[in-house]
Amino acid sequence: MLDRGIRVGCQEPHSQALVTAAYAPMRGDPGVTDLDYIVGRDGAQAAFFIQRAGREPLTAPDDGTFLARLDEDVAIELQKLRADLYFIHAAVLKRADAAVMLVAPSGGGKSTLCWALLHHGFRYLSDELGPVDLRTLDIHPFPRALALKKGPPASYPLPSKTVRTSRTLHVTAADIPGGTIRGPAPLSTVFFLTYDPDALAPSVRRLTAGEAAARLYANALNPLAHAGEGLDGAIRIATASRCFELTTAELASTCALLTATMERPL
Amino acid sequence: MVGDRPKRRSDVSIREVEGDTVVLNRAAEQIHRLNSTASFIWHRCDGRRTVRDIADELTGTFDVEPEAANEAVVAALRQLDQLGLLDHTLG
Repeated sequence: MLDRGIRVGCQEPHSQALVTAAYAPMRGDPGVTDLDYIVGRDGAQAAFFIQRAGREPLTAPDDGTFLARLDEDVAIELQKLRADLYFIHAAVLKRADAAVMLVAPSGGGKSTLCWALLHHGFRYLSDELGPVDLRTLDIHPFPRALALKKGPPASYPLPSKTVRTSRTLHVTAADIPGGTIRGPAPLSTVFFLTYDPDALAPSVRRLTAGEAAARLYANALNPLAHAGEGLDGAIRIATASRCFELTTAELASTCALLTATMERPL
Repeated sequence: MVGDRPKRRSDVSIREVEGDTVVLNRAAEQIHRLNSTASFIWHRCDGRRTVRDIADELTGTFDVEPEAANEAVVAALRQLDQLGLLDHTLG
């Protein structure tokens, strides 16, 4: 992942199936192992465990919590291993030659909109982490399985092989329309998602670079690893990208508005 | 109020971004974007200028009546104070 070697040794089939479902697109020969996990289930209590050198073992009472805790630990450790990258909590897609980030807090609809856009010609880089190279403004893929907290509308049905855990629905890479992107893509557009239960139709508003920078900073995961307390990184991304606030509504019309906005001339 | 001499906090990080001011208040774990008018006012909160002085400068810089400028400055200062961006607590 992100040019770092992560080994996950699974001690029994259930945890192996979960890890494979979540991380299969990133599987390969890690070469040097930067992070070494052992995961499995405690025989007596049937609880999941996650072991990694250098930290107390984690436990999880169920499959959804197990994957969530593994995801969280991997994400935090990757931020340390790739402190040169500016990590934004975002879904990332590619259309034509350009990457688009969907930024929202957890539960803000990133993954659901991401899933829908994959049916409209967008390709998948991530639904959780947007690691940006501040020198080039390329954004790196993190093609973990797309994880939805609830089922999408019927117009965007989930594949039959969707892995269902106690917390989330995981669409594996093999079932992602258009497949996953393996290399970095230049970031062009950032959408900050908002949800208005009273909105009858989606709407979009261009943000000033200052407003976008403040929002990016608020969604940055490792700003303090960067110069200027991370402010300069957020400003660099905001000033080099087109940034919008997107108020979401019905999914298909939201996809159409986002696509039209991306295609709008500068 | 008009005689107060508001002072902006000095322990925050500031960046100017295409006419806006971005203020990072790490102590409060908050980040703010000030629009051009709020930026204009905040940058003049130096502990020496009075509220009236700032309103006069606003009048001289923008096309705004003195009374409206005074109201805008007072409103902005109250908001900046609520956001914790002033050392001086307004009455």
